[in-house]
This record gives sequence, structure tokens and C-alpha cells, in this order.
Amino acid sequence: MNGRYLVNKLARAFLTIVAIMLLNFLLFRAMPGSSVRLTHSPYQTQEQIDQQAHKLGLDQPLLPDQLVTYIRQTLSGELGDSFKFKGQPVTQVIGDRLGPTLLLIGLGEVIAIVLGLALGAYSGWRRGSAVDRIGGGIGLILYSMPYFVIGMPLIVIFAAALGWFPTSGMLTAGVVYDSWTDQLFDFLRHLVLPLATVSLGLIGGYSILMRAAIAETRAEDYVTTARAKGLTDGRILRTHAFPNAMLPMVTIIAINLGYVVGGAITAEIVFNWPGIGTLTVDALSARDYPVLQGIFLMLAVAVVLANLVADLVYGLLDPRVRS
Amino acid sequence: MSALTAAVRRPSRTRGFREFLGRFGGRSDGIVGVAILAVFAILALAPALFVGPLENAVTASGSPLDPPSAAHLLGTDELGRDLLNMTVHGARISMTIGLLATLITVVVGVGIGIMSGFLGGRWDAFLMWLTDVFLVLPNLVLAIALAPILLSLVGDEAEIFGIKAKLIVIVIVIGLTSWATTARIIRSQVLSLKERAFVDRARVIGTGSGRIMRRHILPNIINLIVAQAVLTFAYAVFTETSLSFIGLGDPFSPSWGQILNAAQEAGAPGLLAWWYIAPPAVCVVLVVVAFTLVGNALDDVLNPKSGARR
Amino acid sequence: MTTPEARDAGQPVRGRRQWPLPKQAVPGAPLLEVEHLSVRFKMASGPSVKPVDDVSFRLDDGDALGIAGESGCGKTTTALSLVRLLPANGRISNGSVKLFGIDLVPKTERQLARYRWREISMVFQGAMNALNPVKRIGDQIAEPLEVRLGQPRDASLKRAGDLLELVGIPRQRASAYPHELSGGMRQRAMIAMALACDPAIVIGDEPTTALDVMVQAQILVLLERLRRDLGLSLILITHDLSVIAETCDRVMVMYAGKVAEEGPVRRVFTAPRHPYTAKLLSAVPNIRADRRNLEVIPGMPPDLRTPPPGCRFAPRCDKAMPQCTTEVPPEVRFSDGVRVACHLFPPGSVGALSGDAAKLVVAASMPVTPPPGEARP
Repeated sequence: MNGRYLVNKLARAFLTIVAIMLLNFLLFRAMPGSSVRLTHSPYQTQEQIDQQAHKLGLDQPLLPDQLVTYIRQTLSGELGDSFKFKGQPVTQVIGDRLGPTLLLIGLGEVIAIVLGLALGAYSGWRRGSAVDRIGGGIGLILYSMPYFVIGMPLIVIFAAALGWFPTSGMLTAGVVYDSWTDQLFDFLRHLVLPLATVSLGLIGGYSILMRAAIAETRAEDYVTTARAKGLTDGRILRTHAFPNAMLPMVTIIAINLGYVVGGAITAEIVFNWPGIGTLTVDALSARDYPVLQGIFLMLAVAVVLANLVADLVYGLLDPRVRS
Repeated sequence: MSALTAAVRRPSRTRGFREFLGRFGGRSDGIVGVAILAVFAILALAPALFVGPLENAVTASGSPLDPPSAAHLLGTDELGRDLLNMTVHGARISMTIGLLATLITVVVGVGIGIMSGFLGGRWDAFLMWLTDVFLVLPNLVLAIALAPILLSLVGDEAEIFGIKAKLIVIVIVIGLTSWATTARIIRSQVLSLKERAFVDRARVIGTGSGRIMRRHILPNIINLIVAQAVLTFAYAVFTETSLSFIGLGDPFSPSWGQILNAAQEAGAPGLLAWWYIAPPAVCVVLVVVAFTLVGNALDDVLNPKSGARR
Repeated sequence: MTTPEARDAGQPVRGRRQWPLPKQAVPGAPLLEVEHLSVRFKMASGPSVKPVDDVSFRLDDGDALGIAGESGCGKTTTALSLVRLLPANGRISNGSVKLFGIDLVPKTERQLARYRWREISMVFQGAMNALNPVKRIGDQIAEPLEVRLGQPRDASLKRAGDLLELVGIPRQRASAYPHELSGGMRQRAMIAMALACDPAIVIGDEPTTALDVMVQAQILVLLERLRRDLGLSLILITHDLSVIAETCDRVMVMYAGKVAEEGPVRRVFTAPRHPYTAKLLSAVPNIRADRRNLEVIPGMPPDLRTPPPGCRFAPRCDKAMPQCTTEVPPEVRFSDGVRVACHLFPPGSVGALSGDAAKLVVAASMPVTPPPGEARP
């Protein structure tokens, strides 16, 4: 793709990450009372607290020394130690929980993208039809439901009432498995409802957006040309409308990926899924600031990177940008 | 088709408004939305009229976790409080927070959008970079970072102007995370208006900048602002519900999100206490859907050519 | 069009009609005959609109017909309705469209699709939007060959290359995207695409309007060459009378959905009968004439939701008579091949034909399907 485009996007992403780090610094170090918040852990002795304070450079003047220390430490992956988790490094605490979240979100996104784009394309193509109205209506309702509003009824119906699935967790607690297939099966049983929740929560948005994108392409002249060529409706949708509608959609999907990690917090809470979401809430109630700060940094940077990927992928896909 | 367009006459204010009503009235989605919102607005303005004062742990009128019955149409929570009572009062809290947050968003977003679009140059570049940074921040994450810090500054139970600090923090967080979208949309409209021929014509005949802003740019922006404000309200209610659910809300001010938080804490899903979950959930969805319908309808009617959408 | 000499010598005609005629073709029928065509658009509110009202014309093999008129007069809708490319709220409410004698109007969408592009193809205005921006032009040209004619991919791509060269674009450019070509080249590419299935008729909807004058001339020269070499029949829709004057044999002037005047270009343009035609022609500045004021036609075309009774041009016509506002003028044919709908030329005027004689005059050129008994190369 255009070298200029690439450099431009990289530079913007870099600057934004710089801004995020500064904001992180502002929030967690520069606000009054920060040094207390960052060190006052109920789980450590005064000695350990002082040690921690020194390690983080909190005894230094704020600017520029603390800032420099902060930047240096952050870039080398040193984010401090968690209170709640008895002094484990924040990076490790977060790292342990990243897997379940990524798994849940990853699968959820895949399902939502495939189904949402298909539904949206179909209803956008047949605009004004009964399918479109119903599909659009359902999409709007799903889009207006936070994850927990979807998840809680699912638990009531399918876990509590019907008993098909467990009500929470990723694996049954305290169980010893006979074989890995048993464990896998148990895991899958636990996965169904949270996955359904995340997927349903995302489908609404994707189908609405895809519907709009397809409807827009329908009005374009090249679709008229395709009809004049005598191509079937289905073929026009697939080979002409869809590729063009996907251009903005790819951007949206990529950007959305960045947000979803943070947004699925409420889904994890409802199901007590051991991921970043529940970690966040635990850290919140324990006022575990090092962890909070690490999560903030990670999720915000994730969004920036997702945006960057979106821009790059768009640059590859749209021939008008490529040259 | 030029054969179909009647000659254009500049409408007077009242005729314009009546035309607008006519066009908006033709949209079934907008009407449904307005109807729903009207119901909730009435409930929110005077909840006590309908269900009496807000019940708390002391004045709870029923036994814990009772399913719906004649005495308690929507059942009770784990403290015995009547859920119909809580849900109706929740309307007021949820909508008030949403309203305040929307005000902040509109003021900040429109202000920055207009400045950025009109001033251009370095200001524009800087403000747009700032907007990008805020666009990028995931709202829940920012809330989780900001809330405890702000609260530790003022004290968890503090009140400002009689409103709990916790709720104010929520309002601030919602405002901080949604102004950026509005700013972008307003800015792009200002930019395109700046380029439009009628602005050039006005300049050529000697109209001053201020007058141009007032008579030409502002009327066109107001339409966009109104439509955006309604959509922002939807987002605000949605987000407030999420933030309260996570635990950032005030347990003594049961917004719908707060009720759901309490439900989750009490284990309602596992206990099959569906009556605890359904009312606030349905209300949230209805209100958000209604705002979205109205916002989209307004956008279509007032800005027929606008393609910019959130 | 075969030359008599080539036909007699039994030589294959270059490029012309690679494919046999459709099975349902009626022998002896003209290439295209449109009779009393009306199109109705159902509006969101209010009465429905007829952008095309009782339009008839005929296209013979190898002819070029120009359809002229102001914006909104129905010329584009007329052309689109031939292959039923109408929007969702539009349908043909009356009349017949006979291609090789086969009436296309009663056909279902699936049956009609067979004729699209293979018999009638289109070149649209503004090829930037009419071409798919994310597909290479070679693929777009090859698409009807692969999908409609079932040809294998490499053969289709090769033919696409041939077509590009035919219109004067180097065949390597087949791998280019539309935005990489200049406006003129895009239009040529659209023409190449239109020729892919060797159609009988190519409809050009304002094919040169978006181009500058030099490029416009090139395109017109190209169209003329293709017409000659491939025996194409053209329908050119444009508001630019000079284009019609240069390229077409016959012209049909439309106003507010109805035909005002139709006939051989030379006749209509040198001696226009309908006042509207005269006004249109006088609106074209003559570079050689003395300076004079621009002539405008006062007023605007009528709102088709409530068309005026009688002649639709009457409100703006300076020759209007009392009966023009009450009676719709009937179409009258003249011996010089011109048709007019104007009360200034009622049936019985000097040179007007009547009854069967009117029909005979029209059958002037050779029918497209030779009568039985004549060998076809």
C-alpha cells in the first residue's frame, strides 16, 4: 500500500499510545493521593510498602523523574505488583486471566461476525421486506441490550430452570477429571451460555451496520450495471455488493475488536468467567490500583492497536487507497 | 426528477415546524419511540405519585424474594422491597443520570466540534488528536480507572448539591467517553457547511463571520445536535446501567443497573428469581430502543442527506 | 450490417451476430419495435407518476437512434424500461417492447434476463460509478462471458483483452482498477464491456456527457467505427443535440414523458415541426452565426403528478392555440418519415400520411431476420 498512508497511520497510533501513557500517568501518579493509593496495601507490611514505593520511584519528584521512571518501567513491562494477589507482578496477574477472556471474546466475535454479516447483508438487500423489518427490529433490540441483560435471562432459562448448562464458571470447581475429553466436555458445557451471550450482544450491532452498508451499495450505479448484465440477484449481492460493503465493515470490525475486550466485563461478571473482566471488578473492590492501572493501560493500547490494524487492513483491501 | 419538484419557497418558522411534525408523524418508528419515552418520562418525573415513596431496607413491605403476587405485582427483592416500587423510582434515577451526562456530552462535544471545524489549522489538528484519544478509550475501562480515584478524593459517601458523588462520577465518566463522537460529527458538518456555496455567497456580498455562523451554520447544526443528543441519551442510559452493574453506582439510589447489580449479588439468576431481573432489564432495553428509534427518525427527518452516523 | 456485395459473395460478416437469433424470433420483424410504452412509478405519497406515457418508436438493424430532451423528460426511463431496469416502485403499465418480434413486456424476470446484455446492453453515464471500484476492469468485462455465456475463465479474459484493444485500450490495462483509468478510458472500457456478448443493440445513456469535448469526440468516433465494423445498432440518449446530429440516423425528441417529434435527423434538425424541437435547436449556439441573445424556453417542465390536460408543452409554447390546452395532440406521420404530435400538424396536413400508408413508410430498411429462402452467412 501507499507508503505515505502507512507512515501516517503508524505515527498516529504511536502518538495516541503516548497520550494514553501520559493519561495513565496523570490518573494514577499525578492525581493527589496517588502515592498512598499505589502503595497502601492492606496485605503488606510497612517495610514492603516502602520498598514498593521506592521501586516505583514514588519518592522522587513528580516531574520529570517519576515520569521518566514510569515510562522506562512501563516500556520494560514492569507495572508494579498487585495488592490483592499478594505481591505478584501485575503483568503476571493479568497474563493469567487473559486466556479465558480472549477465548470467549474470540469465539464470540467469530460467531457474531459470520452471522451478523450474513443477516445484515440479506436484510439490507431486501430492504423494506418482512425479513428486513423483523431482522432489523431484532438487531436493534439486541444492540440495546448490555451483555448482562442478555446473560441473566439465559441463565434463568437454560441453567436454572432447564438445567442444561451450569450457571457459572469456566470449569466445575473441585472436580478431578478422568480424561482430557471429560475436561473438554465440561469446559464446553460451561462455555455455551457465556458464548451465546457475547455473540448475541455483538450480532445486533454488526447486522445493523452491515444492513446499512449493503443498502448503500444497492443504490450504486455499478449494481445497476450488474443488473443490466442479466446477473442473478444472488450473484450481484455476493460478488458486487458484498465486497464493497465489506470495506467499511472490516474497519468497524477491527476497531470493535479493540473495545470488546473491555466491554465483555459485564458478561464475565454474570457468568463468573475467570477473565480480565472479573479481575477488573475484583481489583476495583479491593482498590488494587497497580492492577487497575495495568488493565487500563493494556485495554486502551489494545484499542489503539486494533484501530491501527483496521487502518492497515483497509489500506490493503481498498484498491483506491493502495496505489 | 425536476418535473416532480415544486418551486421552492423559503418556509417561515411556524410552517417549518408544522412540516416537521407532519414528516415526523409519518414515521411509525419515531412515534412508537416517543410514546415509550413519554411513559417513562411521566414515571420519572413523579414516581411517588404512582408507587409511593422509595422503599428501603427499613420500609420494605414484603418478605424476601417473593415472586409476583397480587400484593406485589413484580415481586420483591432479597430485602423484601417491592420491585415495582424500585423499578419506577429507578426510572427517575436512570433517566436523570442519562440527562445530565447527555448535557455534558452535548456541551463539550458541540463546543469542541464547532471550534475545531471553524478555526481549522493547528487548533483543528490538536483538538482532533485529543478527540481521537478519547474516542479510543474504552468507556468501562476509563470508568474503572477514574471512579475510584475521584471517589477517594472526595470520599465515597460525599454528596455534591445533594447528589451522591458516586453518581456524579458516573455522569462525568459517561460524558468523557461520549463527547468525542459528537465532536467528530459536528465538526464534519461544520466543515462541509463552511465549504458550501451559500456561505461563499454570503461572504461575497459582505456578510460578517458572526452573522454567517448565526444565520447559516447554526440552524443547520441545531438539527444535527438535536438528533445526536437523543442518540447520546440512549448511549448514556445504556452505559449508566453497565457501570452501575459493575458496582460503581450507589446502592441507595437504585437505578435499573443498580437493581440488576443487587440481583446478581443476591444470586437471582441461579435462584430462578426472574422477577428480580426482568423489570429493570425490560425497562432499560425499552428506553434505549426508544431513544434510538427517535434519534434515528429525527436524524432522517431533519438531515435527509446526512450520511454521518455513529 | 451486411453489404449487398459481401452477402452475395457468401463471405462471413465481420463480427456481426456471432450468435444465432433467439429461438422465438419472428422472421421479418424489425430489430426493435416499441409501441405505446407507458411506465408508472408508485410514489410514497400522492398519485403515481408516469414518466413515460405512450411512447412508440422503432429501431432497425444497423440504425442509430438518438433520444433527446431536457432532464426529466423520460428518455432515460424509456431506455431502462426496455430491459426492465426500473426501480422497485416502477413498472411498465402499458405497451409492448418487441425485440426481433418477441414481446419482452410479459416475460418474467428470469425469462427477461436472457436478453439482458446478450441482446441489449448499456453504457452508462459517468463510468466511475457504473464500474465496480474494487474489481479490475478485465474481470468486469469478462464477467458476462463467464456467467452468462458459460465460457471458461481464460477464454473470457482473452476476449476481454480483445475487446479492450477494439476500443483502443492496450490489453495490459485489463488488470487495472477503474480509478486508475482516465475518464475517457473508463468510458471506452464500459463500451468494451457492453460489447462483450455481441449484442444486437447498445444503449448509451449520456455516454459522453461527463467528458470534455476532445474526449467526447474520440468516443463518438469510436462508436461510429464500431457501428460500421460490427454492424451495431445504437440508441443514444442525450440532451446534447450536437452529439445526435453527428452520430445518429434518427432522432426522437421527448417532452414530459411523451414523444414530441421523431424522424430522420437531417429532416428534424433542418426543418423541425414541433415548436419544442425548434426551441431546442435554437438554444444551441451557432458558432458561425452573428451574435444574438440566448434563447431560453420560459417556464419549467410540468409536474408529472398532475400533468396538464391536452398538450404538455402548451403552457410554454408560444404557438399554443386554445385546443392545445384541452386535447392531447395525435401523432401524425409525414411522407418524409417524420412523426409529430402537435396541433399545428393535424391529420390531413400537407404531406401527412393516413391509415395504412403511414405504416408502410416506416418499413423502410431491411428487416433483421431475412425472409425465408435467403441464405445467411
